[in-house]
Amino acid sequence: MKPERIDLAGVDDVGELVARVVQKRLSEAHTLATGLQRRDAQGLHDFRIACKRLRYALERFKRLEPSLEQVADGLALLQDALGEAHDRDVLLRILPPTMAATKRRLRIEREQSVDRAVALWNEADRSIEGSTLTKPQ
Amino acid sequence: MKWLAKTIARERRALERARRRFVCKPNEKRLHDVRTTGRRFLSLLQDVATLTHCERLRRRVKRGAAATDSARDATIIVRLLESSLDPGEAEIARPLLEQLREQEKLATQGARRKLRRMRFVS
Repeated sequence: MKPERIDLAGVDDVGELVARVVQKRLSEAHTLATGLQRRDAQGLHDFRIACKRLRYALERFKRLEPSLEQVADGLALLQDALGEAHDRDVLLRILPPTMAATKRRLRIEREQSVDRAVALWNEADRSIEGSTLTKPQ
Repeated sequence: MKWLAKTIARERRALERARRRFVCKPNEKRLHDVRTTGRRFLSLLQDVATLTHCERLRRRVKRGAAATDSARDATIIVRLLESSLDPGEAEIARPLLEQLREQEKLATQGARRKLRRMRFVS
């Protein structure tokens, strides 16, 4: 999924740059969070990539705005959980039908990872709501 | 914007360092490093695309990051299959694991070949 372009025309202040980038990447993650509810492989993948972009932006800007650090840490854990689910989706696609027991185990682990991702996203979302990220600049 | 120019230069140098380390001695950790450094830098260039004129660099970084995709996928899949394999299915999995390990080796060599030709700083 391609990232949306961010209109930075006329921006000459770092604070304004941080605000515009973070708001855009945050809005993308919110839009794609429906994939987390659907729990399908493609939806989870798109949401994972959106969270990764948001996390990279937060980690880059936390030197300028320390309040971003806590949200970035939460997103790192969320990404681990989504990554584990994604890796299992990839492996499940190539395993032969004769490996039923391994497949069953992978499916269980995948669902546990998605459950963990849902809880971590809810937590991150609450933390974003309470941070300066959603406040008008 | 001075901060942005400095950040781009810093991340660019970090990617070049990671590329050189991987090309010099490819292993799982160095593959991970060059891949994540590239992805981070690409994300920065995409975030500020309308403010900078780094289109050619962005495309090169994107190609560099994509060059590691197959190697990373193969590595992750091999490790996951080794750790999640049901003991009763070890015999069935053996040819698949061998095939995946061969893929991992070839993909890592392929990534090294592609990255050897790329430069991220002049």
